[in-house]
Amino acid sequence: MMDRQTINSSSIDSLEILLHRMMNRIRQSLELPTILNGTVAEVRAFLGTDRVKVYQFHPDGNGKVVAESVQSQRLPSLLGQNFPAEDIPPAARELFLRARQRSIVNVSLQQIGVSPLDCLETGEVLDVDDIRFRPVDPCHAEYLTAMGVQSSLVVPILHRDQLWGLLVSHHADPRQVTERELQVVQLVADQVSIAIAQSTLLSQTRAQAQQEATINRVATLLHSMTEMKLQQALEQIVSALKGIGGRVYISAQDSGQAQLLTCGMQPVLSEKRKNQSSRQKRTQNSKFKTQNSSTHVAAPVEQYPSWQSCFSEEMQSGENGVWAIADLYQSTVPSDLVQAFLDNQIRGVLVVPLRYRQQQLGYLSVFRQAVEVETLWAGRYDQDDPRHLRPRKSFETWRELKQEQADEWSTSEIELAQALGSHLAMAIHQYELYRQVRALNADLEKDIQERKQAEIKICALNAELEQRVLERTVELQRSNEELVRQISERDRAWQERKQARASLERLSHQNELILNSAGEGIYGLDAQGKTTFVNPAAARMLGYEVEELTGKSMHEILAPSQPGETPNPDNPIYATLQEGTVNHVAEDLFRRHDQSSFPVEYVSTPIREADEIVGAVVIFKDITERQIVEQMKDEFISVVSHELRTPLTSIRTTLGLLSSGWLNAQPEKSQRMLEIAFSNTNRLVRLINDILDIERIKFGKVTMEKQACNAADLMSQATDVVRAMADKAEVYLAVMTTEAQLWVDPDRIIQALTNLLSNAIKFSPTAATVSLMAELQTQHIIFEVKDQGRGIPEDKLETIFDRFQQIDTSNSRSQGGTGLGLAICRSIVQQHGGKIWAESKLGKGSSFYVSLPLSHQSESNQNEA
Amino acid sequence: MTNKRILIIDDEADIREATKLCLEVAAGWEILTASSGIEGLQTAASEPLDAILLDVMMPDMDGLTTFEKLQANPKTQNIPVILLTAKAQPAEQRQFTQLAVTAVITKPYDPLTIASYIAEVLN
Repeated sequence: MMDRQTINSSSIDSLEILLHRMMNRIRQSLELPTILNGTVAEVRAFLGTDRVKVYQFHPDGNGKVVAESVQSQRLPSLLGQNFPAEDIPPAARELFLRARQRSIVNVSLQQIGVSPLDCLETGEVLDVDDIRFRPVDPCHAEYLTAMGVQSSLVVPILHRDQLWGLLVSHHADPRQVTERELQVVQLVADQVSIAIAQSTLLSQTRAQAQQEATINRVATLLHSMTEMKLQQALEQIVSALKGIGGRVYISAQDSGQAQLLTCGMQPVLSEKRKNQSSRQKRTQNSKFKTQNSSTHVAAPVEQYPSWQSCFSEEMQSGENGVWAIADLYQSTVPSDLVQAFLDNQIRGVLVVPLRYRQQQLGYLSVFRQAVEVETLWAGRYDQDDPRHLRPRKSFETWRELKQEQADEWSTSEIELAQALGSHLAMAIHQYELYRQVRALNADLEKDIQERKQAEIKICALNAELEQRVLERTVELQRSNEELVRQISERDRAWQERKQARASLERLSHQNELILNSAGEGIYGLDAQGKTTFVNPAAARMLGYEVEELTGKSMHEILAPSQPGETPNPDNPIYATLQEGTVNHVAEDLFRRHDQSSFPVEYVSTPIREADEIVGAVVIFKDITERQIVEQMKDEFISVVSHELRTPLTSIRTTLGLLSSGWLNAQPEKSQRMLEIAFSNTNRLVRLINDILDIERIKFGKVTMEKQACNAADLMSQATDVVRAMADKAEVYLAVMTTEAQLWVDPDRIIQALTNLLSNAIKFSPTAATVSLMAELQTQHIIFEVKDQGRGIPEDKLETIFDRFQQIDTSNSRSQGGTGLGLAICRSIVQQHGGKIWAESKLGKGSSFYVSLPLSHQSESNQNEA
Repeated sequence: MTNKRILIIDDEADIREATKLCLEVAAGWEILTASSGIEGLQTAASEPLDAILLDVMMPDMDGLTTFEKLQANPKTQNIPVILLTAKAQPAEQRQFTQLAVTAVITKPYDPLTIASYIAEVLN
């Protein structure tokens, strides 16, 4: 046993140089083969053995010589050769791993020296670093012997607490391994472990980089801005995953169409399955499209219910949701699916579900075919041979070739597939989004185009509208101006109409007033002779109410002198209605309600509307009074004519006789004729004077020259005028004057008194007395002229004051009367506001009274002023 | 002219006197006069007459009443009556002409031709 202190200084220097050189080697490269090759070379050079190799364990327990330095003349090369796991028992592996036990076998001595670094039980680092020898297992010795090795040194290479491999030194001759050598080799093994870790890290980094590069390439293809290059991406994926084919199945999305892209080998369907597929296709009514040279018209396998159910189950149980099947023969995939793959020599499938968040987008599938696996074994190894438990006698290289081998999906490949699937899913999702966006964009573009078109149209419409608005504005302005003008005109017209209406109302009111106030009867007829309106005067004259006449046939009611019913051609009113003539009837008779008649004068005038006779208006008036007046006038003219013609007759006759010469011989008769002529001439003069006088007084053409007078003076003067006449008639004249102040025309009052006195004298017999008296009352003075004549009949007391109403014409005329004296007296008295009347008793005489108002103080004062 | 006896009935004394003288000197007729209708009726009934000149407007009994009475009396009904009137209005004239009088002479008549006119109408 040798401890570390026994190492001399030269050995230490040699060790340091060795380690330094080895470390440099290791540092010079990160490539594990290079490092391993350098290591084995340096170690062999250090140990001076025939063969130094690095043996690496495979996951299945087998191992392979991955680096070797050999003295070819001494031992054969084992580089690249595999050794079955059975060559290194699990116990030995356990010691290698847990105790980091080194073993040194000396076949010739049939001993094995072990030197654990760690405690097997506790795993703690042992303080003692020595080699403990014990007898070697004969099998082990036999094994080494068969290999031609007499001395071996095995140092485990650990990596990440796993037994990565072994650093083995073989020597064809027996050889002792010193502790120093063991320490050096152990140091080298430790460095190799470090190098492995670095190299593994590098490999992982490279693999990672490669994966990332692959992912980047695929992502670049997938996330192309312009177009998702899914086919190229698929090819990249298939290539990266070392597949012989692959496909991307994109489920029907919103577009409603499933999509399938294929690359390389694809599962094929038998006729039966195709039929099933067709039925499934029909029943599922699915749609999909393919993008590859080979177009599959059948439904994709992804749509198989068996696929979906199987895959769904696998997804639930699979790692990270990846369906990695290296060998379909060994899988639980339904046979129809398996057959579909196997028919096209697809042995392994890797299915990655394409999901984005919770949305199932489809599947990425990569296929692998069966592969041939060639293994170089160090000696023939037959696992089925029970003799394999015995050490092999020969380590001659045996080439083992396995066909139709499944190609396992490595973890990195699965991870890569997952990553690619994620990118693919994201890309599909993005593409779908992009497609949707593009569709939206297209729609938007279309919408924009439509909107642009619409805007253009709107612009055009706006322009047109503006033009229209402009035109309309102009029109409106014109209309406004026209409207303003019309409003102005209308206002003016309205004002005019208002004025006209007011005028009309005024006229209507006036007409109504006129109609109501008119003394004449007025009624209107329609074309059929029915009464349309009647004014109150007409109704009053006819003895009806207005309402009783409206709507009635006036002709039947009035029964004018023209007989028959309306229409009657002979009736002037009918003629007015028929011919439109204005007819004036000076005298006719209308019938009152009480069936009495009264004389009327009427005018019928047509009422026209638009040159059409629509009726007539009849204006009539009661001419009873006029007839009476005319009769009176006629009678007056007759009387005047008679009164004038009577003296004229005498004058003409007498003058005719005188002028004829027939009386030339009879001078007395001639004289008499002259007297008659003269007398009648005087009578005629008086008559004419009285007629003129009474007319002038009556119509006010004689102004009463009123002044303050004394009644007594007036009575005296009147008496003086007739005194001669009384004397001649031998009539006594008695005057009893009364003092009273009067406001009268003294000449006219004296004329009146004189007339009364002269009448009294005329009709008084001889020796009779005519008296003139006056009685003073409060407001009046009453003169009385009293005679003692024959008296006046009662019925004549009033009429005697009318013109030419003499009681005894012959007597009167014989007395020089004209028959107008009392009428003149009445006119004079009436002009003074007084009254005149007569009282008489036949046979005893008469008294004529004149009542005159006494003088008004105011008038007196006014006069005095 | 043949002798005739003519009665003048008129209330106007001057006219009676002047007309009587006119007819007497112009035609030589015998002229009787009456101052009223009543007096005229009495004269007409009692005297043979060739004609009566009758005034119309007279007090008490006017000429028309007098004429009616003359017509009513068989003694006088055949005596030609000539109305001698101062009523010259057309209506009055129409009224007079409707009576069964021989003629109507309107006052003032022409004294130079009245006699010949009366003689003519009496013939």
